[in-house]
Amino acid sequence: MTRVQTGGTVILLTTLALTCAALAGEKTAWRLFVSDHSESIVNVIDLLKHEKIEAFATKAPARLYRSKTGRTVLAVQRGADLVTAIDSGISFEDHGDHGDLKVKPPRLLGVEIAGKQPSHVVEHGGEIAIFFDGEGRARIASERTIQESKPVLRKTAPGLPHHGVAVTNDRYTLISEPNAQNSGELPIGISIVDKSGAQIGGVHSCPDLHGEATSGNILAFSCASGLLVVSMDVSTPQIKHLPYAAALPSGKTTTMLGGRGLQYFLGNYGSDKVVLIDPAEAESFRLVTLPMRRVDFAVDPVRAKFAYVFTEDGRLHRLDVIAGEIDGSLRVTEPYSMDGHWNDPRPRLAVAGDKIVVTDPSRGVVSLVDATSLTKTGEIALGGRPFNIVAVGGSGQTHDDE
Amino acid sequence: MLTKLRTVVLAGLVSLSPLAAGAASAKKLNVVASFSIIGDFARHVGGDRIDLRSLVGANGDPHTYEPRPADVRTIAAADIVLVNGLQFEGFLRRLIEASRTKAPVVELTKGIQPLRSTEQAHNHAQSGHHHHHGDYDPHAWQAVPNARVYVKNIADAFCSIDPPGCKTYETNAKAYDATLRVLDDEIRATIAPILPHKRVVITAHEAFGYFAHEYGLTFLAPEGVSTDTEASASDIASLIRQIKRDNVAAVFVENITDPRLVQRIAAETGSKVGGELYSDALSRPDGPAATYVDMMKHNVSTIRKAIAPGVP
Repeated sequence: MTRVQTGGTVILLTTLALTCAALAGEKTAWRLFVSDHSESIVNVIDLLKHEKIEAFATKAPARLYRSKTGRTVLAVQRGADLVTAIDSGISFEDHGDHGDLKVKPPRLLGVEIAGKQPSHVVEHGGEIAIFFDGEGRARIASERTIQESKPVLRKTAPGLPHHGVAVTNDRYTLISEPNAQNSGELPIGISIVDKSGAQIGGVHSCPDLHGEATSGNILAFSCASGLLVVSMDVSTPQIKHLPYAAALPSGKTTTMLGGRGLQYFLGNYGSDKVVLIDPAEAESFRLVTLPMRRVDFAVDPVRAKFAYVFTEDGRLHRLDVIAGEIDGSLRVTEPYSMDGHWNDPRPRLAVAGDKIVVTDPSRGVVSLVDATSLTKTGEIALGGRPFNIVAVGGSGQTHDDE
Repeated sequence: MLTKLRTVVLAGLVSLSPLAAGAASAKKLNVVASFSIIGDFARHVGGDRIDLRSLVGANGDPHTYEPRPADVRTIAAADIVLVNGLQFEGFLRRLIEASRTKAPVVELTKGIQPLRSTEQAHNHAQSGHHHHHGDYDPHAWQAVPNARVYVKNIADAFCSIDPPGCKTYETNAKAYDATLRVLDDEIRATIAPILPHKRVVITAHEAFGYFAHEYGLTFLAPEGVSTDTEASASDIASLIRQIKRDNVAAVFVENITDPRLVQRIAAETGSKVGGELYSDALSRPDGPAATYVDMMKHNVSTIRKAIAPGVP
């Protein structure tokens, strides 16, 4: 409880603040967690030193997910029916007027969440829902409990195996509704269940559901017909269907990212287009045609007006999300054709402070691009086939007494 | 780092340069207000010489507002941006940076006597919270004398960039200032008959510090100055004990916050929910607080009816 006061001990607080400032120093740390396409390993790179500092063996090649705080990295190993938790070693403590940065060695947390065919991981409101396709249900954990080696808070009821997704907060879970006629097909909608497992209302139709993202306080699922836009701030989640604009060419979004710092969504739309989505605008969809087929894309959490798209000709494009156009391009790798299997080793992107990081599986390196000048600044050799990548870090204060 | 960023953003008291000669007469001033209450002030001062956009609209919560790409385009097209300052608009830096606007960003709290926020101590006493706010309570408009300063600052800002319209702005500001003076008198007259020990008000977040200071009430809130603050269990328990001990008659929900916490406190203490107060946003046009004046009248009337129903 805070009580309104109209006076204050200004001098004392000022003195304390100055004392704290005198003891504090600014520090920056960034780490890259890079999984290999075919080897069961997660490499950890100190981005400032340009060197590998750790390698964690996993049970199968992993897709990586980082928590919103960056403190935890989850290695999703579909081939081993396992999710392994890694402490990134980098954490921030919010002190209101500043943030303290703590850097420790990365480590395995000893937390392994087992289940058949783990797939999508979604964090919302501090809870992390991991969907297990082979069981048609989600296991729900929180970063705090994972860090305390107590991984699973609860599980949703088992369902038809399907490639699904779940999003949860402290009261409700949104979970994909399988196609009962053929659960091998994509889900047909979203259901809301409460903590007891009771369904709230009917199924919210979302044919061919695939793709989910959060931007600020809005959550979106992509469907063949448009988006389901969800507000989970209110007592019961509110879901609205946002149909694709009639002017859009035939297509759909199946992969989405949520803007950071600005509220928007970036999705694929066919092989050579991306779409910028602002659900609050009258014209919600802005299509951007790419020069070649898309390989991967990422949003910039620091320079909020930019996102990045990597295309099969080996070029990285900077997308101005305000103007809705590409404002710069850079050749980073040799071409990677999008012909072949969808999961062939191809570059993946991450943004780490002022660097855009691009994995280059063919050459076994990670390329670094300056985000401001859009110029290539270096490479870090890893060997193998560096594939999935997440970046963790930032700047904060450190104190002499630590 | 945060300190640096704030300096960059809210050094936004950019010197004001007049629009190109004749520009103002050719087109209206494109004014962007950060939230609805400032928008209402600007509307009264600017009249039909301005086109006005408020980024955070009716019933919107500026504490948690998520700016959109369209807002960047709005800022980029602005002739002037009016903001509260005192680190109230946490979203502002992103917009200013992304828009690369050259428009002056005017902090309307310049010249008021800011009240120190108690959250600094609160914040360090609690771990695990994630809220960002400054040393001072930013909700200065909740005291009408401060609103009059806002209005004067707006008139000065408009005059600086649109000298040909200055007389109009000053005339409009003067007329609105007279309305605000009457409003201030009305609020004092409404509260004056309420016995001092009855003047305790429970709200969801700490938005009424200036109202309390100006008009002699005590406001208690489970949440801090920002609605982004989560109330801890011990805070709520302490508040409940105090409500029972002091026999607080009513608690109030706010238009921008989730009412469940206040409703729970009311249920546990046996006090009644006295109504809805408008703190950081106006209501929609058909609501009871569509303008600043209506908002303040509604708030003081709601409070009086709940805590002193016998007072006429």
